[in-house]
Amino acid sequence: MIRIIKPGLQATLQGAPRIGYRHLGIPYAGPADTLSMALANRLVENALDATCLEITYGGFEAEVEQACAIAVTGAGEQIWISGAAMPLHQTLHVNAGDRIRIEMFRTGIRSYLAIHSGFEARAQFGSTSTYLPAQLGGLDGRVLRAGDVLLANRPKPLHHVTETPESLRPFFESGFALRATPSAETAVLRDTARETLFNATFTVGRQATRMGIALDGYDLSPESDGMMESAPVFPGTIQCPSSGQPIVLLCDAQTTGGYPRIAQIARCDRHLLGQARPGDQLRLLHRTPAQAVTDHERKQALFSDWLAPDVES
Amino acid sequence: MSTDLRPMRIADDVFEYAVESSRAAQSLAVQLRSLNIAEDVVAGLKTVCLRFDPLNLPQIEAALATINHIADTPIFEVETVELAIQYGGEFGPDLPAVCQATGLSADAFIDMHSQRLHTVEMIGFTPGFAYLSGLPDTVAVPRLSTPRPRVVAGSVGVSSGFTGVYALAGPGGWPLVGRIRDQLFDPEAKAPLRLSPGQSVRFRAID
Repeated sequence: MIRIIKPGLQATLQGAPRIGYRHLGIPYAGPADTLSMALANRLVENALDATCLEITYGGFEAEVEQACAIAVTGAGEQIWISGAAMPLHQTLHVNAGDRIRIEMFRTGIRSYLAIHSGFEARAQFGSTSTYLPAQLGGLDGRVLRAGDVLLANRPKPLHHVTETPESLRPFFESGFALRATPSAETAVLRDTARETLFNATFTVGRQATRMGIALDGYDLSPESDGMMESAPVFPGTIQCPSSGQPIVLLCDAQTTGGYPRIAQIARCDRHLLGQARPGDQLRLLHRTPAQAVTDHERKQALFSDWLAPDVES
Repeated sequence: MSTDLRPMRIADDVFEYAVESSRAAQSLAVQLRSLNIAEDVVAGLKTVCLRFDPLNLPQIEAALATINHIADTPIFEVETVELAIQYGGEFGPDLPAVCQATGLSADAFIDMHSQRLHTVEMIGFTPGFAYLSGLPDTVAVPRLSTPRPRVVAGSVGVSSGFTGVYALAGPGGWPLVGRIRDQLFDPEAKAPLRLSPGQSVRFRAID
């Protein structure tokens, strides 16, 4: 159906998160940028969490082996189909022999390639999403390699073109302002460190993976000896080890952790974490839980007409 | 047990209960799961978190108000699992540091760790990772100040009176004292996890 020629840095199949198994230590996985994946699926008439290809940093190339309808969203500015530049956020009809090429991204990290009917993938623990550390889901639970052939569930061409409304297209620059609430152990921070956490501009560290990103720039020096009883953490949780360097957890977040939980990225902005790249600026905007729920309701309302009934978080 | 069960809001979409023991946490988690209102219910060692869809907040709060005590769910007796372990050297690179922190010789630490009966208090972190109690409080070794980007599957660490067993390779912050060979997580097996909360574990030192 689609044969990978160059997978880029890390291409995986991602679908719905693996919800409901965290008590076995099994993380959610799923797309790092849920909103972009939902928007891609919308353009090819799929369920919003149908299995897509998650491409990291671009540098991707593939050959189409059978006519189908695809769409690409997320990072990047365009997609090349057999030498012709085509836009993101639009249904694209491709034919056998067409070459799909995605350049390296200048901002943002991940793009999503959706295919009508979704990619075939192995479901484990109720989800097709690839979780690399345990080799779950996707294609043998691994990253995609040159030569891999991805199949669609029920391949068929579509006969019309849909575009994401201009006003709903996320774009990614080198700075992120993310709404966040305090969390269970925010009190381990001194007043000044707390002020820093919610006001300073951090730099995304070199280790930016689907599991988490480290924030450089400030030492928050928690008043804690690093010996906390392990407690649940989730995507969006910000932990602070005794080193003082905060770590923001992403979609592959571990299920529990022993470092103080000093903040939680609000549900409405978690999808943006999947686009923060090393060197980007990242600032937290303080919210109370009630304010963050209102923010979430507003964002849901903004997308609800287009993505009815729901945007996954 | 506890009569004042009031959760704390630790995020826009997470409530957390603080409880007295891991056994209480496991029991409360079962109760909360049976309400069928949560996206997820996860037990920590002395905490239980419930993640929910904030658009349903009023219904969630109403349902949680009906839980005002922890039911004492029976924990099933299961036979003691024996895990063969290689201590120290490349398998347990932090054994010298742990010995220094606890004032024990390597042999004394190994004897103590392998003679005690450990109990699985919690599964969490990554698939199959087991938290075992059974060490004396004197093994109060802190986590590494910066987690390792990668530890090998089967690695065994100690911290804060607990033993942690990494079922899979991945990042980890526990000081490592040894490594087992048994596979603790098999997604294709009927019972994917070898260890479960409440189970007894003994380590047998091998060369």
